[in-house]
Amino acid sequence: MLVETTGLPVRLAGVSCAHGGRTVVRDVSLDVAAGQRVALTGTNGSGKTTLLRAVLGLHAAARGVIEVGRREARTSADWTRRRREIAWIPQRQAAGRFPLLVDELLASGGAPERARAAAAELGVGELGRQPVHTLSGGQLQRAYLARALGCVEAGAGVLLADEPTAALDFEGQAAVAGLLAGLPVTVMVVTHDRAVVQRCERVFEMAAGALREIT
Amino acid sequence: MTEFFELLELAAVQRAAFALLLGAVALPIIGVVIIGLDIMPVRFAMMHIALLGIAVGLLTGLDPLLCAVVACGLSGAGLTPLARSRSGLSGAMGLLMSLAIAAALLVLSISGVNASAAFELLWGSILATKTGDVVLLGALAVLVPALFAWRRGQLALLLHDRELAACSGVPVNRLTLVLLVLVAIAIAGAIRLTGALLVDALTLLPALAARRLAQSLTGMAVWAVGIGVVVNLAGFALALLLDQPPGPVLVLLAGAVALAAHFLPERRTPAWQSASSSH
Ligand SMILES: Nc1ncnc2c1ncn2[C@@H]1O[C@H](COP(=O)(O)OP(=O)(O)OP(=O)(O)O)[C@@H](O)[C@H]1O
Ligand SMILES: [Mg+2]
Repeated sequence: MLVETTGLPVRLAGVSCAHGGRTVVRDVSLDVAAGQRVALTGTNGSGKTTLLRAVLGLHAAARGVIEVGRREARTSADWTRRRREIAWIPQRQAAGRFPLLVDELLASGGAPERARAAAAELGVGELGRQPVHTLSGGQLQRAYLARALGCVEAGAGVLLADEPTAALDFEGQAAVAGLLAGLPVTVMVVTHDRAVVQRCERVFEMAAGALREIT
Repeated sequence: MTEFFELLELAAVQRAAFALLLGAVALPIIGVVIIGLDIMPVRFAMMHIALLGIAVGLLTGLDPLLCAVVACGLSGAGLTPLARSRSGLSGAMGLLMSLAIAAALLVLSISGVNASAAFELLWGSILATKTGDVVLLGALAVLVPALFAWRRGQLALLLHDRELAACSGVPVNRLTLVLLVLVAIAIAGAIRLTGALLVDALTLLPALAARRLAQSLTGMAVWAVGIGVVVNLAGFALALLLDQPPGPVLVLLAGAVALAAHFLPERRTPAWQSASSSH
C-alpha cells in the first residue's frame, strides 16, 4: 500500500555509463512509478553507485534517457532543478578538504529545522557544532540521513540512497528501514540490508553493469 | 626611536600602512579560498601573469596595475572549467606560468625597462604605494568580506565538497568563477605591496596559520584576518624600526606565525587535515 505521495516517477531508458574507456553500466532501462520503493542489489563494483550518480548528473559520460518527473535534464538550470527534486545519500561521504559543521551539512538540504529535528530523532542532535570529519562513520551516515529528510521536507520527490544503513548499528538499521518505508517519495535504494529490501516493492539485481528485476 | 615616529609622519609611510591594513582584511580570506579550492598552482601562475600585465603596462604606457588586474581577472575567469578537477589545473598552470613569465621577460626587455624597475616588481615597493593601489585594496577589503558573509553557507559547502555543494543548490560554476576572478585580482593588487615573490605572506600564510586554529570556515576567515592585521602592521613597524625593506620582514613574520601555529599542541589541530591527505 502506498502512503499518500508527492513522489516523482523515474524513468531510465538505455542508460550506459563508462569510466575511462570501460563501460560499467550497460543499457539499463527501468520505470519507477511515483511513490514506489525500489531496491538495487548486486555484487561490488557492478555499477550501482555509478547509476545513481548518473541520475544526479554527477557522471558526465552517461548516455541514454534519464527522466525524473517526466523531464530530462539538458541545461544547467535543468540539472539544478533535478538536484532539488532529489534527496541523495551518498555511499562515501566526502572526507572534505575543508571543515564543514554538522549544522551546515544539515542546513544544506533546504529545510534546516526539519533536518535538525531528524538529527535529534536519529541520535545525532547534539553534534551540530562539530565538524563533520570528526564524526564516527555511523554518526556521519545518520547526519546525511537527517539531511535527506530535510530535502524531502523542502520538496524533493525522490530519494536516492546508496547503502544508507551500511554503517549503522543493528537498532539503527531497523529504525532507518522503517523510516525509508514511511517517506512520501519515490525511493531507489542501493542496499544489501535485508530489512531494507523487505520494505521495497520491487527488487533489482545488478551484475556487471546490467540490471534485472528479481521480484 | 624618535626617528621612527618621524617616519610615521610621512605621507608615504601612512599610505603604505593604510594599504597594508586594507590588504590584511581582504587578502587572508583570499588565502583561505586558495587553500579551500586547492588552487595553489593557480595563485602561483597568477603572480606570473600579474608580472606580464605590469610589463605590458610599462611597455604601452598604460597603468601597470590596471593591466595586471585585467590580465589576472581574464585568466582567472578562463580557468573556471579547469577547476573541476585538481589534475586539470596543475598541468595547465605549469604551462601558463612558463609562458607568462617568458612573455613578461620578453616584454620587459623590449620596453627597455631598467633592471631596478624590474627588481621592484619582484620585491615590491610598499613605500611607493599609489592611490590606485589603495583604492583597489579598499574595494577588495569591502567586497571580499561582504561576499564571504553573504554566501558563507554556500562557500563552506563548495570548499568542503563540490558534489555535495552541487546537490545542495549551490551555483558551483558561477561561484567558482567569481572566486577565481577575485583571487586573481587580489594577487595583482597584493603584488605592489610585497612584490611578486612575496605575495604569499599576505594571502596564504595567515590562512595556513588560521587553518590550524579554527574548526569551521567562518572561524578560519576570522583568524586569518586577525593574524593578517597583526602581522602586517607589526611587520611594517618592525621594518621601519630596523630600516629594512618591509616585504621580506613581513614574510618572515608571517612565516614565523604560521610555523608557530603549526607547532601548537595536537589537540588543537583539526583532524581533517590528515583526512584530506589520505583522501
Ligand atoms: N571514478 C572512477 N574511475 C574509474 N573507475 C571507476 C570510478 N568509479 C567507479 N569505477 C569503477 O566502476 C565500476 C562500478 O563502480 P560502482 O561504484 O558503480 O560499483 P557499485 O556497484 O556501487 O559497487 P559497491 O557495491 O562496491 O558500492 C567499478 O568497477 C569501479 O571500479
Ligand atoms: Mg556503490
